[in-house]
Amino acid sequence: MLILVTILFFFLVALALVVLNWLRPKFRYTWLIAAVGTLFGWLAVLTWQFRLPLKFHLVQWQPTTIFLESISFTADSLSWPFAFSIATIVFAVILTAVARENFPAPIPWAATLVLGGLGLLAVIADNPLTLLMVWAAIDLTEIIAQLRSAHGPQLSDKVVAAFAARVAGIGMLLWASMVSINLGAPMDFQNAPPQAGLYLLIAAGLRLGVLPLHLPYASESAIRRGFGTSLRLVSAAASLILLARIPPSSADSVFTPYLLSLVALAAVYGGWMWLRSPNELAARPFWLIGLASLAMASALRGNPVGATAWSCALLLSGSALFLSSAHHIWLARILWISLIGITGLPFTLTATGWGSNTSSTWFVWPFLVLAQALLLAGYLRHSTRSTKRESFKLLDRGAKIIHPFGIAIPIGTLLLLGFWGWEGAQKTGPILPSLVGVIMGGIVLWLAPRQRIFTPVQPHWVRPAAAFGTDWFFRGLSGLYQGASRLSKSLSEVLESDGGFMWTILFIVLFISLLTQGTL
Amino acid sequence: MSAPLIWIIIPGVFGIFALLITNQRILFFLGGVLALLLAFIAIIIPIDTALQFGNLSLKIAPAIEILGRRLVLIPADGPLLAIFYGLVAMWLFGAVLTKTSNRLVPLGLLISSLMIASIAVEPFLYAAILIEIAVLLAIPLLLPLNKTPGPGLMRFLIYQTLGMPFILIAGWMLAGVESSPGDLDLAVQSATILGLGFAFLLALFPLYIWLPMLAEEASPYNIGFIFWIMPTITIIFGLGFLDRYAWLRASESLQQALSIGGIIMVVTSGLWSAFQRHLSRQMAYAVVAETGFSLLALSLPPEKAIQFVFLLIIPRSLALLVWALSLTRLHENVGLLRFSNVTGLARKYPFASAGLILAHLSVAGFPLLAGFPVRIALWEGLAAESLGMAFWFLIGIFGLLTGAIRTLAVLVKAPQGTGWEFQEPSTTSIIIGFAVISLFILGIFPQIFRPLVGNLPAMFEHFGK
Repeated sequence: MLILVTILFFFLVALALVVLNWLRPKFRYTWLIAAVGTLFGWLAVLTWQFRLPLKFHLVQWQPTTIFLESISFTADSLSWPFAFSIATIVFAVILTAVARENFPAPIPWAATLVLGGLGLLAVIADNPLTLLMVWAAIDLTEIIAQLRSAHGPQLSDKVVAAFAARVAGIGMLLWASMVSINLGAPMDFQNAPPQAGLYLLIAAGLRLGVLPLHLPYASESAIRRGFGTSLRLVSAAASLILLARIPPSSADSVFTPYLLSLVALAAVYGGWMWLRSPNELAARPFWLIGLASLAMASALRGNPVGATAWSCALLLSGSALFLSSAHHIWLARILWISLIGITGLPFTLTATGWGSNTSSTWFVWPFLVLAQALLLAGYLRHSTRSTKRESFKLLDRGAKIIHPFGIAIPIGTLLLLGFWGWEGAQKTGPILPSLVGVIMGGIVLWLAPRQRIFTPVQPHWVRPAAAFGTDWFFRGLSGLYQGASRLSKSLSEVLESDGGFMWTILFIVLFISLLTQGTL
Repeated sequence: MSAPLIWIIIPGVFGIFALLITNQRILFFLGGVLALLLAFIAIIIPIDTALQFGNLSLKIAPAIEILGRRLVLIPADGPLLAIFYGLVAMWLFGAVLTKTSNRLVPLGLLISSLMIASIAVEPFLYAAILIEIAVLLAIPLLLPLNKTPGPGLMRFLIYQTLGMPFILIAGWMLAGVESSPGDLDLAVQSATILGLGFAFLLALFPLYIWLPMLAEEASPYNIGFIFWIMPTITIIFGLGFLDRYAWLRASESLQQALSIGGIIMVVTSGLWSAFQRHLSRQMAYAVVAETGFSLLALSLPPEKAIQFVFLLIIPRSLALLVWALSLTRLHENVGLLRFSNVTGLARKYPFASAGLILAHLSVAGFPLLAGFPVRIALWEGLAAESLGMAFWFLIGIFGLLTGAIRTLAVLVKAPQGTGWEFQEPSTTSIIIGFAVISLFILGIFPQIFRPLVGNLPAMFEHFGK
């Protein structure tokens, strides 16, 4: 019941904002309502932790002889950090809104709250059916939001391509569910069969843009910092939760080394592009790819707790940086604190991130550690840049107090999760890769101003899909599609021409001969 | 008062008189209200049960006799009549947007009454003739008087007509099988002939080739109506055969044939849909896929099969209605529905475009939409039997989704700097909007029609028991 109340609360506050905006557009306390509403929502999610596991069945489809699964939710020790991170992002988006140029913006806030509610539903989904429904809702919300602001054919193509990748992820999750059914039982995330594990991973990879490496996110410029951040991060969280649900025994598959290699390459690519991007908003997709790859690598090493850790670091560190819309040296220093969350050092959120339950993964470690180093260095670089940010001095007095608080909330949550509330808290974890990553990050940072290769690329130079030679893959796919299209057209023409009658006769003969061969 | 009089003769006679009415608004209103009334009566008044209203007793008799043949509607047919006429009402009300009421209302009601008659007629073999008459009536519905018939229409007529003699011969042979159950050869021959009859009637692979051809030639709304009504009733008619002949129900070869036929339909329609560049043809392939889903449903264990077949009806009908409505709106504005003609139209007709995409996604089984719950349950049913079949099902679904996404890409691909200019009349937006909301409601709560659909298997005495 607590789950229902919390999520309804998010939706009701969103509804209140929309109604207020419609009836009284100049109402002065809209932001206050949104802030208080999200504060209560955030506190409610915090209280879930004391009653875990929480279960909630929304509806049982009828007849039960046909519909084997029902829409149900479970908040447990692995989904709670996700839920808490999402609630934190929503709260932070509303708090930091005071410093944005479009303040007040009740409709984007309402959309953020709805997305937050959907994100919470996604991370506590108990079975693939429930998760699919929430994914679909998030995807439809996202595509509508993107298409509304997409100008030009190329941008709309990208939006549709991103949607297609997500739909492919949905298909893969469905397939994982079918594999489970074939093994004798409908799948729930608490008892997923190992045979379905890799399909779950590929489903998450497709939606996150890691497997195969692609950018599922259209141009960032069209989406604003507040709503855009919530859209990106909540959507990513809804996919990342799948990594925490992959049974550790799935890591024993023969495909694991190949998948790990691809994921490691994606991680390095994400980290490299993140470091070299001109500003944090342009770099946002690479942050997601880089850290999501580290989370996927953890899942592939049979470490769902580590996958959760990297995922929450992606959400919390990322939100702190992306929501920081005013430049001030002290704000930058606050942001540096959140770096702790992705170091993997003991008693930090990602302390369990480098844990491994498989032995045959040594060959990817250098790449993964390098990716972490690049992400660390890039984070520090982006947090100190003033481009795309307004001057803190120009903010009014209230905003000067509230905005830093909004930035501090995700960072505080990040630190809190290192010590309390879930399976990965208060852990030391493997220290060596973390230390190497931090040291390498320092070296990259030192080299950055000295070597031209580290110079940020201009936005128009960014052709992410071409990097690492992934272009050939998509060109190949396109060629295959064109070939199949021509074949299909030829077949259609043959069947629809006058000669099509002959095919019909052939079919009839075949049909009769086949049936008469069998016994009834 | 008898049930066939209410649900067969009255709509049929009204259909004939409606041919004389020229005012489109009056026509759509009267036709829609009549169909709705028939649906309402089917819900509240049970057949063959006396109802007391004070001193007045009302009982709807189940049968009437015409020319030595009987039309029988049993009490268990009530939910089917309610669903069927409810859906007919939606189609007729929707005709207000399409300017085709003058043909759709009279001919649509006539076809509807004939299709119901095909389920009710005894001996049941006469159903084939009634379906054939409905096919003949569909010709003026699909082809305006001043136009020359295209190849698609000709093939529609030929293939559907070819189905009739096969069904009649099969019926005659099946009577022989009943009298001499040990004659295996006769059983095989009769089943083969029956299969051929249904292959023509249901337009199985590759006999379905007329569907995309016809879709290109006729008005999208009228063709949508035919695409909805014909396969739906033909499948129920086919269930009658399975119910009547125990050996046919128990035949493993038939289950196999249904399963292979169904998967071929789903896969081929999906693949063709993925490469299609014409919006009406996309709809036709979706109809083929729907027939494939029904065949696959029938290939499952009988107690599940019958439930699946009926669960498929409402989502399919709703999706087709939304699809046809949206296509009609675009068709009226651009004429040809090729990709090259509809590029970027979403910015002018967002509701019609959204309706089109969501209906397509619903047929493809996209989560949250009406088609999803039954698709996933059907898929699970197949996966429980064979992972190979489930994989081919995935390929078919993937093709349909690719078709939907390509359509989406084309509709939203507007030239640089094109803004959103809403050019849709508010009536269109409201009607399509409501229909789309229904798709979502049915996708999240598929059990809302359970009280009606749940009782439908009772129509059959043996099948599914």
